[in-house]
Formats: sequence, C-alpha cells, structure tokens
Amino acid sequence: MINTSIVSAQEEGILPGLSALSESDARESAIAFVNMTTSPGLEGAIIIVDDDTRQSEQWRSSLGFDAEFTLKNQIFNGYWGLAIVGGRIDDKMELIGDNGQPVHLDLTRDVVALRGSSGLSFPIDQHFKLRPFLSLVFADLRSESTINGLYDNDNNQTILSFNSKAQLLSAVVSVDAIYSRWYSNYRLELSAQYNLVYTEAVSEDNPILDTDVWNSAAQLESRISGPTNLSFAGRPWRWSAYANFTSFLSHNKSSLGYNNLMEIGASLDWQINIKPLEWFGWQSLGFRVGLIVGEKVEGYNVGLLAR
Amino acid sequence: MNRRNFLIVCASLFLNACVQAPVFKGDGYAFIKSNYPVVSINGVEVEPSYTVDIEAGENSLVIVYHTYRYEYYCTFTWIAVTGTAYEVTDQDNKYPLTLYRWIRKNSLWASRLDPIDPLSCDQKQKP
Repeated sequence: MINTSIVSAQEEGILPGLSALSESDARESAIAFVNMTTSPGLEGAIIIVDDDTRQSEQWRSSLGFDAEFTLKNQIFNGYWGLAIVGGRIDDKMELIGDNGQPVHLDLTRDVVALRGSSGLSFPIDQHFKLRPFLSLVFADLRSESTINGLYDNDNNQTILSFNSKAQLLSAVVSVDAIYSRWYSNYRLELSAQYNLVYTEAVSEDNPILDTDVWNSAAQLESRISGPTNLSFAGRPWRWSAYANFTSFLSHNKSSLGYNNLMEIGASLDWQINIKPLEWFGWQSLGFRVGLIVGEKVEGYNVGLLAR
Repeated sequence: MNRRNFLIVCASLFLNACVQAPVFKGDGYAFIKSNYPVVSINGVEVEPSYTVDIEAGENSLVIVYHTYRYEYYCTFTWIAVTGTAYEVTDQDNKYPLTLYRWIRKNSLWASRLDPIDPLSCDQKQKP
C-alpha cells in the first residue's frame, strides 16, 4: 500500500528512516546549486550528471554584461557588471533506507538571481592586470522534492513531497588575474579567477535552509582568437577557441555530483565596438558553442556572449 | 503627473543626456578626446590634457598609457578630417592604446570606427 502526503519541510524535519540523507547534505546541495548558477564568471550551460545512483540535469543561463571604464588621473580602471541569472536542476537519486530498502529522491530546484559587481582593474604592465571586485547576488530559490520508498509507522510504503522557498544573499569577493598577448593578428588570453562566497539564506518554511555558509570556487580560462574574412555592417568577425576549467573547491561532491568541470569550445565574435552611455566599451557580440566534460558529467554551452 | 510617469521622464532626460554631439572649435578643426593624457602635440610638449582641439590635416600626438611597472608613450600620426571627432582608448589591442573615429549614433551610444594603431609605444620604466 502506498500513501501519498504533502507536507512542509518544517513539519517533517529530518526524515526518519533515511539517515543516508542528512540536514547538511540538503543544505549544501541547495547552496551549491545556487553558487553553481550565480557565481561570477560562469556562463550559460546544460550539465548532465549520469552516475550509477544519480541522474541529474542542470542548466544555468545569464543575461548580463561587465566592462571596465576609465578613471581619469588614475592608473587603475573601474570595473562593473550586472546580470540576471536563472537556473534549474532536476535531480534523481537512489538512496538506501535504514531498513535496507531502495528510496527514490526526486528533487527540482529553480533559482532566479540578480547579480551586481563592482571593482577595480590594476594594469601591472601592458599584458598583465589584476582585477579584484565584489559582487552582491540576491537569489530566490524554490525547491520541490519527492521521496518514494520510506515506510510509515504501519510499515506501509509512502510518498512524501516537500516544497520550500528560500531567499539567499551572497557576497562574493573575486580576484581575476588576466594575461594577454598578441602574436601577429592572433591574441592569446589567459586568466585565473578565485571567488570567495559568503551566503546568508533565509527560509520561512524550511529551517534547514536558514543558514549562512562560506564557499569558494576557482576558474582557469584560456582563449585564442584570430581574424576572419567575414564582416557585417562594416564590422569584422573574429574567431576564437577556448578551454576553461572550473573547480568548486569547497563543495562536497555529493552536493551536485561533481566538483570540477572542463569546457572547450569556439565562438564567432562580431566586433560591434560601440560605447554605450558614453561610459564603457562594448567590443564584441559572439555566438559560442562549447562542450563540458567532467567525471561522470557531460554538458554543453550554446549561447550569445557579449564582451 | 504620477510617480511612474515622473520616473520615466527623468530616465528619458538622463539617457538623452548621455551621448552628446561633439563641439568643434571652428571650421578646419577636429576634436580628440582621450582616456589617457595627451602630453605632446606635433612635437610640442603640452600640459597633460584629455580633450584637444586639433587643426585638420596631419597631426602627431603623444599619449601616455600608465601601468604600475611602465609608462607607454604612444605616438599617433594620422590625417585628421575637419569636423570629425576622434577618441583614444585602451581596448586590449596590439598596442596599449588605439585611436578611433568617434561617431555619435544616438543619445544612447557612440560608434568607434576605423582603428588606427600608434606608430610606436615607447616603454619607459617608472621612476
């Protein structure tokens, strides 16, 4: 006999009979998903985790822009960025209940976030600059989960459903080290970015998410670009190929199913070269295609990229 | 006027004031604005300046790009066209600075066209 019930997480608390899923697992999973979606430097992607006991599909997408602007009479430049970010995860896990029975966990999370960044860019020389900046991220997280396979007091199998909402405010301190050099008409760009994230989460219906957490992530990026014979509206196109590595340093691997991602791809960038609002330069608008790989993870990245 | 319309009017006025048409000194002049200081015009050292009226025709400007290790003295030589605005900025191009023809497209943005590299950028160690 299968009983179905819908309860709030607050009413249920820790699930009896499922010690394989701890409070910290649930908390870290939610925070890791938000960080994976909203951290600066991450772009659109669809990521699929296919493990023996876990299948999940995650996507993230952002609409935003970041740029440097000149501060006259100063060696350093200013830096700003603004983005609307969205993401979703459909996570299916096979767990073992305390009685040894299989328990199925279906989890769906949706997040919408607004990210604003501000900082400075210090040119050390013509080729190398350091860019420290601070980002504030406000995120609204909705979660729905269904747990199938636990037994109630009468030894009947149950299906439990949880819905919860949380609001998260993250402060992200980032340092980006960027090296670039031209070889004839080809430009090589290498960068390393470190993000230290402090997240304060508030939830009225899920005390597990009423928490604050520190996390960190690092990214290594390399990109080479070159000219093409194409032009549109009098503006040239350039091709580029890139390889990026992202590591969520402090996440537990069970949170998302991976800690490290490698992405390789190519883009075609139209050199729009305009100056909006007489403030900052918008150099290119590109179409990007990338392949994401990792341990038991694969994915892709298709989208527009403004620089 | 309700608050919403007032905000729309304020935002419109703000955006309309963003990109202004360049003002020229007179006939036979062009205008250049630079994100970095112009220190020499046609071989004559001048007080560092970010906007310069220049006579049409061939001009040679030296503009300094500052970094923490070096200063780059970039020399631009080109034929300035009367009634044309130019802009010098850093854009991660081959040289630290690039000269563009600057055209106001509308009140929201301007276009940077016809990039010109400097003839040279002399790298000098900072004192």
